Amino acid sequence: MHVVIVGNGVAGTEAATLLRSRDRDCRITVVSEESDHFFSRTALMYVVSGQMSYRDIEPLERDVCARLGFERVRARVTGLDPERKLLTLASGEPLAYDRLLIACGSEPRRPPWPSYASLRGVGHLVTMQDLEWLEEEVHGRTAVDAPPRPRVHETDLPSPYKRRKAAAASSGKRSTRPVIVGGGLIGIESVEVMLAAGLRPTFVVREEWFWPIALDAAEGTWIAEELRHHGVDVKLGANVRDLVGKDGLVSGVDTDQGPIEADLVVVAIGVVPNTGWLGDAVRRDAAGGILVDEHLRTSAPDVWAAGDCASVRWFDGRVRPEQLWYTSRDQGRVAGRQLAGETDAAYVRGTWYNSAKLMDIEYTTAGLVNMKVPGEQSWYYEEKGTVRSTTRIVHTEGRVVGFNFLGRRWDHSVCTRWIQERRSLPWVLDHLDEAAFDTEFVPPLRIPADLRRQA
Amino acid sequence: MKLQAQQGLMTTYRSPWRNRGPVGIAISVALITFYCVLYFGGTTLTIPYGPSISWPDPLTPIAQALGLRHKWFVYGLLYSFGMIAGGTWYLRQHGNSRYHQLRIATNIAVQVVLAFCLPYALAFVGQPEYYFSYFWPLSYSNLFPETLQGLPPYLAAYSLVGAFVIAPAASVLFGKRWYCSWVCGCGALANTFGDPWRHLTFKDSRSWRFEKVAIHTILVTCLVMTIAVTVGQLLHFKAEWPYQLGGFLKGWYGFVVGAVLSGVVGTGLYPVLGPRVWCRNFCPMAALLGLTQKIGRFRIRVKPDMCISCGNCTTYCEMGIDVRSYAQSNTSFTRSSCVGCGMCAHVCPRGVLRLENAAPVASDKRRQGIDAVDF
Repeated sequence: MHVVIVGNGVAGTEAATLLRSRDRDCRITVVSEESDHFFSRTALMYVVSGQMSYRDIEPLERDVCARLGFERVRARVTGLDPERKLLTLASGEPLAYDRLLIACGSEPRRPPWPSYASLRGVGHLVTMQDLEWLEEEVHGRTAVDAPPRPRVHETDLPSPYKRRKAAAASSGKRSTRPVIVGGGLIGIESVEVMLAAGLRPTFVVREEWFWPIALDAAEGTWIAEELRHHGVDVKLGANVRDLVGKDGLVSGVDTDQGPIEADLVVVAIGVVPNTGWLGDAVRRDAAGGILVDEHLRTSAPDVWAAGDCASVRWFDGRVRPEQLWYTSRDQGRVAGRQLAGETDAAYVRGTWYNSAKLMDIEYTTAGLVNMKVPGEQSWYYEEKGTVRSTTRIVHTEGRVVGFNFLGRRWDHSVCTRWIQERRSLPWVLDHLDEAAFDTEFVPPLRIPADLRRQA
Repeated sequence: MKLQAQQGLMTTYRSPWRNRGPVGIAISVALITFYCVLYFGGTTLTIPYGPSISWPDPLTPIAQALGLRHKWFVYGLLYSFGMIAGGTWYLRQHGNSRYHQLRIATNIAVQVVLAFCLPYALAFVGQPEYYFSYFWPLSYSNLFPETLQGLPPYLAAYSLVGAFVIAPAASVLFGKRWYCSWVCGCGALANTFGDPWRHLTFKDSRSWRFEKVAIHTILVTCLVMTIAVTVGQLLHFKAEWPYQLGGFLKGWYGFVVGAVLSGVVGTGLYPVLGPRVWCRNFCPMAALLGLTQKIGRFRIRVKPDMCISCGNCTTYCEMGIDVRSYAQSNTSFTRSSCVGCGMCAHVCPRGVLRLENAAPVASDKRRQGIDAVDF
């Protein structure tokens, strides 16, 4: 049996290794346009800043493909013929499969600005090639360990894995006035990259406060405060109308709050499924996500999809892509078992949780937060002592449904268990220390008695 | 002041002296030269079938000029300054963690008080020069009968109790970190002066295999040597050859392990191989405490299903442990080499890791996914 996996991200790699653990003999081919080795996309920012090297962000040893007998193909896949069970590579070569997993991930969402496509010095921070471009713009050169760049993009096909030409290469000057557009996680990561390079970036956020999908006004205000404290020019509620260019290089951003000078613009307004190449081969939703059932099967026989490119059923019942590292990993595991013939393997999404680091402030969430649950109320405590932290517990009808934490570490698995056990707010407050995950010697969170009584 | 998280971003690899470039190698050559002068100064070192090198001894005149009893006190002084400078650097980088604040403060206090001031002051009250922060097998001559006989009974008892009771018992309770990361001078130098290079430690499985063979070989060698010297010294009144054999083994062990591996290689290669070359590959004390740590309460707890495999933990592990491989497979773990410096937990952007002293919990042992295949 020949199993082909398109994409060597976390979903594809998990599926391949799990399949190999179940089936020692089948032929496994992993196709990637982006990179030779599986790497952690979540760590791209650390390579740009210099905190890690290219090799450091690869979770596995480099001989893993040889040891597990994975054949690697470094190419862009341009089409799928599910009738004849055939993939087409950019070179025109066909690649036949018996079973296929599509795990080709996301690509950056492109902005609607008229001059976006024509200017140098404008890009994203999503792919390995974005990293190389941004490194050149900000630092002029790589620190150590840059991977070899095989010529896989000779076809001139549009691709998120095409290396952009840097404005720094034309002007001979590294960026000094970077602007980051988009108030999400990649946006704040890009801001941190600029700060590490000693630059003072401008951060253009469309919303009224930072990251309203996850934070409320007070929490988002703290993050913005932290950013400003580090010298970031945070512009809230600002919409970009277009970019301004000069001699083919970006020179500014035109917003509804006025113009901003810029020699580098990182556009971080989200990601969309990288599924344009599939055409009508498998059914996709309006956003481009490949529609799958709970077994991650697509509309085509012997074709599965996992990770960012697949639209799965969320905890709230809606169907859309779930662009998270750990859900991609979980889906990859399910897909690996499916490829191995375990037809009952299913992807079941439990209670929502996530975490992040926003500048120096750690963030943990669990359950339904900012989801407008009927009758919801928030219990909120802002700690301003040796440790600064915020704790928000969302509850409705006498039971806790969500947690939002900033500034301290918490064990989300304890929180999700409490939500499933339908614990009441007073009970949760009495047991909150059981979910604490702070490092040793950090003074524990003490909730004032009057706040406890209010609950 | 905030006590957790990273203090902004680190630009580690972008500092020319920290990425194994020419500047780093030059620093390494300078350190190696210094250690050769320190250990071999005033002697002529004959390499078998090779040249003889006469090493100058500038440290002894410096000791005399400063009124210090011998060159090792000059070294102790430099050591203390190196640690204070490195400790300051460390706390500026990672000092927003209370664990690091307490640990580095303890390290510096132990070095300045127990490893410099106290040995110097003991002579004024008619006591021998004694280092309370070092135990057998690191201080390999501590248990020789002739050494013990030369000590007042309370110090001889401290040597024995320290090596056989205090060190192993504390390692069972707190992990070997109580010694390797809080007390030991070698570890303290690595974590202060050597900290800028911690990311350079090799993480691959080959280096792990080398480490396991090398460190346990040294432990066994140290044990055999100690027994041989002890027997030789005890039977000296009867026969000459066991005494000479013991002396021969002691001499070679002192040269290879005591001077070359702990000093010249162990510290000299900080900017090339990371700061724990000695602790990771050669220290017999680390080997012994590592074995007791394995049966003890210390572990690194992994928060389930939260790791994003970014690899900061592995990159900044000075012992070359692939922490990420445990974190991404939801496995709380105790590795015998882990010195519990706390950096993996500190640099984790998702707060996945926690150092703790606790009995293992069954639910933490959940293994799934990527480690289903034996890499």
